[in-house]
Amino acid sequence: MALPLSRYCARSSLSACGRWGLERGRGSAGGGGGGGGVSASLKELHLYRRTYLNSTIYKKQNSFCSFWRTPSRFMYTTRTKYCYTKVHSDEQYKDPYRLSQKELNNLYQEIRRQLAVSSADLKEICDYYFDGKGKAFRPMIVVLVAKACNLHQSKNRELLKSQHSVGMIAEMIHTASLVHDDVIDGSDTRRGKTTVNKIWGERKAILAGDFVLSAASVALARLGNNTVVSILSQVIEDLVRGEFMQLGSKENENERFVHYLEKTFKKTASLIANSCKAVSILGNCGPDVQEIAYQYGRNIGIAFQLVDDVLDFTACANQLGKPAAADLKLGLATGPVLFACQKFPELHAMIMRRFSSDGDVDRAWQYVLQSNGVQQTCYLAQQYCQEAIRQISMLHPSPERDALIHLTEIVLTRDK
Amino acid sequence: MSVFLRRIKPSRVLLSTFCQTLFSSSSPSSWTKVVSEAEKIVGYPTSFMSLRCLLSDELSNIALQVRKLVGTKHPLISTARGFVNDTRNNLQMRGLVVLLMSKAAGPSKTAEPPLEGDLVSGIYSSQRNLAEITELIHTAFLVHRGIVNIMELTSSHGSLKDMQFGNKMAVLSGDFLLANACTSLAQLQNTKVVEIISSAIGDLVQGIYYENSKTGEDNMTDDVMIADWEEQTFLSHGALLAKSCESAMELAKHDAEVQEMAFQYGKHMSLAHKLNSDLQPFVEEAFNDSVPFSLNSAPVVLHRELLGRDTWINQFKEAKINGEQIDYVKLHRIIKAGKGVSSSLDLCHYHGNQALEALRCFPTSEATSALKNIVYAVTKF
Repeated sequence: MALPLSRYCARSSLSACGRWGLERGRGSAGGGGGGGGVSASLKELHLYRRTYLNSTIYKKQNSFCSFWRTPSRFMYTTRTKYCYTKVHSDEQYKDPYRLSQKELNNLYQEIRRQLAVSSADLKEICDYYFDGKGKAFRPMIVVLVAKACNLHQSKNRELLKSQHSVGMIAEMIHTASLVHDDVIDGSDTRRGKTTVNKIWGERKAILAGDFVLSAASVALARLGNNTVVSILSQVIEDLVRGEFMQLGSKENENERFVHYLEKTFKKTASLIANSCKAVSILGNCGPDVQEIAYQYGRNIGIAFQLVDDVLDFTACANQLGKPAAADLKLGLATGPVLFACQKFPELHAMIMRRFSSDGDVDRAWQYVLQSNGVQQTCYLAQQYCQEAIRQISMLHPSPERDALIHLTEIVLTRDK
Repeated sequence: MSVFLRRIKPSRVLLSTFCQTLFSSSSPSSWTKVVSEAEKIVGYPTSFMSLRCLLSDELSNIALQVRKLVGTKHPLISTARGFVNDTRNNLQMRGLVVLLMSKAAGPSKTAEPPLEGDLVSGIYSSQRNLAEITELIHTAFLVHRGIVNIMELTSSHGSLKDMQFGNKMAVLSGDFLLANACTSLAQLQNTKVVEIISSAIGDLVQGIYYENSKTGEDNMTDDVMIADWEEQTFLSHGALLAKSCESAMELAKHDAEVQEMAFQYGKHMSLAHKLNSDLQPFVEEAFNDSVPFSLNSAPVVLHRELLGRDTWINQFKEAKINGEQIDYVKLHRIIKAGKGVSSSLDLCHYHGNQALEALRCFPTSEATSALKNIVYAVTKF
């Protein structure tokens, strides 16, 4: 009984993804002016059809439980499939962190310089999160994509100063949005530290976020490129719209999944995708390469968030730097819950009341762990990573390109 | 049709939510006259934020949510109420000044190549968009500065849950307005303007931080200088308007000198206006307790500076009931007896004159005289 049900579920949710992909493709073509919108959406449809087929095969395996524990093995098989050329055997050289280290060394110092103010309080708050201990995940992707694009375009990997700035701006926009999110969610901790709002109060936190955003916007304007300004302004709008989408949920299950993926794009992937596009533009790349950069960022961005949503269920509190099941407590139904809802329809009512009744959070948590919601979400994340690999593999080979491929694996295997 | 109506309705609630009385303190009769004449000059005033923005699902959603807050003590509601009850005051003053400035300067004669695009009532569409952006930013900050600190709440504020919800709505709606300002700004396709206006947002935040750090009596014994007051007031009350005026000139490709004059007008007019409103409790005939004054208002700051630190500390002690609570009536009397009020009046006239001076490089026109009239209105007592 359980098997056909889950098969049905996989299809319904994934066909939802396919339709969503179509809409998204249109959206990106309209917004970015890139001509690849229609073909991108077709590619996506194809991807999801394949996902569906794969997932049914995958359902028949008995050992699916072990696969989440060893996702890297899974990834290696796909990598050999998509990696057109094997350039380096030296694993260290492909390490994305090492490859971008030189460029990112002074990142936080520069951000702090960008935020120089005379008000002591404001300065202290600004420095609080830019303490150099962040992962700088976004700047790293941006730098690597920039160098990979540069090599593809002009045989010169050298990072342009303007591209480096985009990495910095991306981190600033990201941090500003975190500060605002923490106020909206009433969070106490972030990255293992007390949140700004708990130390300095909500009003100052929000204004500090606004300040970081304005500084990012000034830095952006100084690049002097109108297209890049437009692209990154779109990100800010997406972030806010994503936050709005989180306020409501849809009655219909398919719509709910589409809603979830669109929210995920806006809240997380848009920043990465558009920053990647921006550096490709600054590197004088044509529309086709811009689209590759955008699609890589979009796909790895969505995968990143899907894994994040999974970690909310699987990671223990101290690893994550925030309490587990945080999303449920906020009333948010993320991927694992939406998948679990297909096996346990009881979840439907809980999702609609945003887990507000007594015991909802605990029960939902149990349902998710009893279903294969976590595995299915991971599987979806892998599909997005495969698409990211497929996209970036269209660039000429370079250590950075391989590092970006390797990065998808890091995204999938991270435990915090 | 019904769908359309349903979407309009929340927007009307919203309109009230986001508006607040601007420039509320000047003498009403002349002020209203000046503004209504000025609005005719620019053809039509800034639409209150773009229709696109008002009719968006996001804002309709928020408006519905905000209704739940009615009856609570969250500042977001008083922001809304202030608009509903106060129809005589004019909104969008900043936008209006930007439009007047645009019209007063006219098209640039030195721009090479000449600027494309049609002028409507003597104003480029990019300048109208800029006026709207200025209003969006200003309103976003009205909403954001009304966020309450959860830790400081007392039982008199009502339920914690209401306050948290109100905060959430205030953050989201302010962010939404700012995000719209960002995308509209990008559409102007002028990175210099993006830079100037973005820096004005930074100024605004810094100004509000200074303002907040000055509340309370803790720093009543520090040395204060009116120069610092002017600098900080510029950040919180003048930078946005000054930089918007400057940007309006840049959009019409006017040279650096004209841009500077527009900036100076915006700056000095804003300072004169702030001085005017700070002076209100001291120039009105009868002072009653319901018209409180801020310990950081210009007359108090000037009073302290002119008196010197030691004398002020003594006076301040005298004005306290049992050395604890401040007796505002007594303090009011002390300040009125000193030179702080007359010096503030002088300073107000000084900034008014500087603003008029800046207008000298603009040709005589209806728009220029409207800008002058605004200065006269804020320097008249």
